[in-house]
Amino acid sequence: MLNNSFHWAASLVSAVLLSMAMAGVSHAEPSASVQDDPGHFARGAQAWANNCASCHNLRPAKDLRDDQWRVVVAHMRVRADLTGQEARDVLKFLQESN
Amino acid sequence: MKYRISSSRHCLVMVMLSLAAASSNVYAESDYQALQNEVQALRQELSELRALVKQQSASQEDVKSLRQEVKATSRAQSEATNADSVAHIAGYAAVGLTDRSQSGGSAFSVASFNPIFHFLYKDIALAEAELEIAAAPDGTTETKLEYASIDIFLNDNTTLVAGKILSPLGYFRQNLHPAWVNKFPSITPGFGEGQAAPSSEVGLGVRGGYPLGEGKKLKYALYVGNGPELEVDGSEIHGIESDGYTRDVDHRKVVGGRIGLVPLPRLELGISAADGGVGLEGEPDRSYRVLGTDVGYQWKQLDLRAEYISQRVGDLATSVAPDGGTWKAWYGQASYKFLPTKWEGVLRYGKYISPHADQRQEQWAVGVNYLWGPSVMAKLGYEFNQGLAGENTDANRWLLQFAYGF
Repeated sequence: MLNNSFHWAASLVSAVLLSMAMAGVSHAEPSASVQDDPGHFARGAQAWANNCASCHNLRPAKDLRDDQWRVVVAHMRVRADLTGQEARDVLKFLQESN
Repeated sequence: MKYRISSSRHCLVMVMLSLAAASSNVYAESDYQALQNEVQALRQELSELRALVKQQSASQEDVKSLRQEVKATSRAQSEATNADSVAHIAGYAAVGLTDRSQSGGSAFSVASFNPIFHFLYKDIALAEAELEIAAAPDGTTETKLEYASIDIFLNDNTTLVAGKILSPLGYFRQNLHPAWVNKFPSITPGFGEGQAAPSSEVGLGVRGGYPLGEGKKLKYALYVGNGPELEVDGSEIHGIESDGYTRDVDHRKVVGGRIGLVPLPRLELGISAADGGVGLEGEPDRSYRVLGTDVGYQWKQLDLRAEYISQRVGDLATSVAPDGGTWKAWYGQASYKFLPTKWEGVLRYGKYISPHADQRQEQWAVGVNYLWGPSVMAKLGYEFNQGLAGENTDANRWLLQFAYGF
């Protein structure tokens, strides 16, 4: 029983490490990629249309303030499994459309 | 003769000089008048200018004050936009009416408010929690923590999630259940709490996505958690409660997740699986397994989705409820927005199979929604239900709901 739990926990940790390795970014530098590629308006418009509409009606930029979009996009990054780049693109699109 | 001529010339000159002098006097007088008028006009203008300057001096004070105000507002805006920590409240609310045509009963049956609190630190961490505050049938108020987690953005492709989370298994429970997102006033059979689809979990997980090209993506969500608990009624397992427990009575964790593939923009295929233990206090653990698959596709104004989920609990001869069982459910749904109007039509089929006959249900549902905005709507629906005779699961019903996501 304990071995079973350990086995699965080890698998999960392995998945995390593998995922981080594939991304090529260390845990100590979570925002490094943010500096590398800021959001892109056109990509953001596309990502917004493709991802947000897959669950709910599209909410226009004017629904929220720029600072509110910052938090909401972070929330949706988790909920919709957006990549960091998609999240930055969508945020750029929403804030510049506001 | 010469003298006369010269005398005449002299006289003529004198006359002309006299005329010139007289004329000069006339011009001098009119110039003086003109000058006087001009001076008067200048005085008037000067007076007006003085008043204007005085007025402008007052405006400059206003401008100065306005500049300070703009500066302060700009600073506040900048702080709100660029501050390391940002807080935000989102959520949704729903109210509704249910009318059962066969039993003849109707009631204003829904009044719920779900605030969601978000706290973001840079692009590193997000703390989020959702409360469900709902009016109960007996007039009391039910309060429940839907989820409370800390999410750490490890990198562009991985987020660590820890705490009480919405179950990553399946699609409906984690993404479509909020009233303003769900296209129909009710939840499809088997996907409610304590039915076939797991709702919450307390544990640790990773999730994220990898781009696979233009509009294509691989999504994943893996977790390890305490797992659900069994609800026993007499000697039978009545249901599997997955409210998210901070204890683990069976001492065996559940591990699972969902993999989603987006092969084309707006088409997503997902599979879910989990394995682990479930049990009762003081008893050995028994096997627990979840399997699910889901698909979603959007084309123009058409939204199509379908999902299957099952939870299986193993037998345990020494238990007070020895027989295990399988709880499974599936549904298919199509909705279409009739643009440019604000109307939307919905058609849904769902089936829930449980070891207990009184829980089983098959349902066709048709509805129409009116959207005042993307997240504010009225939903009217009718369910054709088939279940055990005499049970609510067998009664057709009308539903009306107002939902607002904020």
